[in-house]
Amino acid sequence: MDEVDKILIHSLRLSGTQVPEEVQSLQEFTTELIVESVVRCLRVIHPSLGTSLSHVLPPGMSARFRIGTSLAQACQELGYQGEVGYQTFLYSSEPEIRRLLLFLVEKLPRDDAEDARQPAGKSAGLLRAIAAKIKEELGTPWVPPACRTPRLQRLQVGPPPPQIQTHVSSQRALYPPHSRPSPRAHLPRPPLSPPQEVQARQEEELAGLRGELQRLEAEMDAVGGEVKVLELSLSQVRAGLRQQRLALGGREQTLQVKSRALELLPQAENNLAKLQLLVESSAQRLVHLAAQWETRRGPLMDQYRHLRAARHSCQLESTRRVSEIQALHERGRSAATEARRKEELCRQLLTELESLPKDVSRAAYTQRILEIVGNIRKQKEEITKILSATRALQKEINSLTGKLDRTFAVTDELVFKDAKRDESVRKAYKYLAALHENCSQLIQTIEDAGAIQREIRDLEEQIESEGAKKTLANLERILSDYRALRQENAALLGRSRDP
Amino acid sequence: MAEPEIQQLLGVGLIEKDTNGDALWVWCYPSTTAEMRDLLLRKCCLTDENKLLHTFVFGQYRRSWFYITTVEVQDTSVLKKVTHFSIVLTAKDFNPEKYAAFTRILCRIYLKHGSPVKMMESYIAVFTKGICQSEENGSFLSKDFDARKAYLAGSIKDIVSQFGMETVILFTALMLKKRIVVYHPRIEVVQEFTRTLPALVWHRQDWSILHSYVHLNDDELEALKTCTGYIAGFIDSKVSNRLDLYDVCVNLADSEITISQQAKEAMTMGKLHKEIGQLIVQSAEDPDKSDSQVIKVSLFYV
Repeated sequence: MDEVDKILIHSLRLSGTQVPEEVQSLQEFTTELIVESVVRCLRVIHPSLGTSLSHVLPPGMSARFRIGTSLAQACQELGYQGEVGYQTFLYSSEPEIRRLLLFLVEKLPRDDAEDARQPAGKSAGLLRAIAAKIKEELGTPWVPPACRTPRLQRLQVGPPPPQIQTHVSSQRALYPPHSRPSPRAHLPRPPLSPPQEVQARQEEELAGLRGELQRLEAEMDAVGGEVKVLELSLSQVRAGLRQQRLALGGREQTLQVKSRALELLPQAENNLAKLQLLVESSAQRLVHLAAQWETRRGPLMDQYRHLRAARHSCQLESTRRVSEIQALHERGRSAATEARRKEELCRQLLTELESLPKDVSRAAYTQRILEIVGNIRKQKEEITKILSATRALQKEINSLTGKLDRTFAVTDELVFKDAKRDESVRKAYKYLAALHENCSQLIQTIEDAGAIQREIRDLEEQIESEGAKKTLANLERILSDYRALRQENAALLGRSRDP
Repeated sequence: MAEPEIQQLLGVGLIEKDTNGDALWVWCYPSTTAEMRDLLLRKCCLTDENKLLHTFVFGQYRRSWFYITTVEVQDTSVLKKVTHFSIVLTAKDFNPEKYAAFTRILCRIYLKHGSPVKMMESYIAVFTKGICQSEENGSFLSKDFDARKAYLAGSIKDIVSQFGMETVILFTALMLKKRIVVYHPRIEVVQEFTRTLPALVWHRQDWSILHSYVHLNDDELEALKTCTGYIAGFIDSKVSNRLDLYDVCVNLADSEITISQQAKEAMTMGKLHKEIGQLIVQSAEDPDKSDSQVIKVSLFYV
């Protein structure tokens, strides 16, 4: 609780409340201090709500009452879930005040936190610079190009793009030719006869030239036609020549063969046989040569193919290795950039940490929080253990009770059967019944004792919590205030009656 | 004794695609120039990234015809490191059916034995004797595949049904020895269409104007430009922007025929052309008439 109070007091001091140095916990907070802190917090959170309220508690009871209710309303408007009224401020109790102040402090805007949260880093800095520049430019009003100072010229849009310039210049180029005829048309006309003669002469010449041109064109067409015809015949003749040459080649060959055959004709039979033999032997020799060649060629072919396959697999291997190396390079590079980035981040965070205020020791708080969390966990474990033990116990009790009942029923029957005949058995039966009765009474008493003890514990807890509320002191104060209020009312009534 | 035909075969080559993804020239006989090797690597679909397998393609380059059959190798074969291979045949004549059959036989031989030596034997057998044993207990007889049959193998009726009256534009262009460019994204369609076109001018029986598979490559286009009139097939749609390459552009995918500006004058068509067109369309629509009869109709006007 002290830690929480210290944090609260620190935050209240930051919001503007003058908390005296000796006040270390919420118990020592007076009503005035409470009201002041709440009002200052409201002013920071929601200026419109807070300005209407003064942070000094007025002496008059009705004014105090009014302030109390307005503060309570303001807190409810902010969204405070718990019960709040004028009594929370004027007749305060520690737990209620703590809850309210915690709520208000949480609502306080975190200015310094926001500053620290701004992302440091070059890109963010660049973005901020861009934003600033744009803001500056948007801030200056647009001025037409002619009136711009050099600075404004740099800021605002520059010269138009080159395409527009050339388009403009081409358009300008179009205009002069159009403009030229008009001045000429407006010149005064010279006297008629000499230009008329010149014009007639010119027209004659033109007609003559035109006739000449036409004649020449006709001649050209005729000659062109002749040329085409000659070309056609030339190509025909050339084609004919080519064919004849080819035919000649073929005929020469057949001539050779026939002349040879003619030579051999006289001894036709012999020569035929000899020729056939020759052909056979040549054929065989050729086949033999082919076989020899095959013995050479086969292994060479195999070797060639084998080497190609080996080369192919080597290539595959090397490409695989190259891709592996590239992947490794990539990984190395990314790891290096990652490391650099992390180092940068670390440096930034360290500078941030150093720039943070040192008065509030965060480490102590985190330590406490972790301790508390650990404690809670242990408690939870113990509670579960106790619960399971209780359950086991209850189960045992139930089973034993059941067993007892069953045993008693069986014994009862058994003894009762014999009790009709035997006197001693009847006595035994009576004793048995009495025993059972007494034992059950005993058990009942034990249970009641346990229940009463639980009640005692509950009531003790209630007494403690009520005690903290200092209800009695508040009641006395309320009574005195009530009396003061009544007096004021009476005084006011009196004053209003006599003018 | 029937006249033995002179074999027009020029050479045979083997391109393999292996497990490393490389397409390589592994064997050829007798020899090829580096230029032809580059060309044939481009034509065989093993260098393409899109993995579309074209079983049989053919075309012409500087008066030699090439025929390529591509086969995918199954795992059970003796060829361990090869995923696909193409067998290339070069020849001087146009006969897709004959060379398709022959390359198929060679493919099967290679698949079975894994060595080009056996292929070579069959090749030399065909080259010298015109016959070779195929793997399925049959034989390949070169004389079964006549040149005329190759010329007639295409279907004029299909062309007429696709283009209707516009067929007369193609007819006129062929008659005037113009440059025709045909485009379709699939090579098989282009080949089928272009091989049939020269039949419209049957009286010439000249299939050397046909270049059924051309890429937009400088060497090939240079070679193409040395011919006055040609029919060139492309699978690259950018060819329609190359106005220097054609007088008439046929887009098979959209069934459109465009005449370029420089040729419009030469290709002006009058009443006669309209008559020809109508007659061709009529005879093509007649289900009783065969393709050769339709061709004869077009001959009527020559």
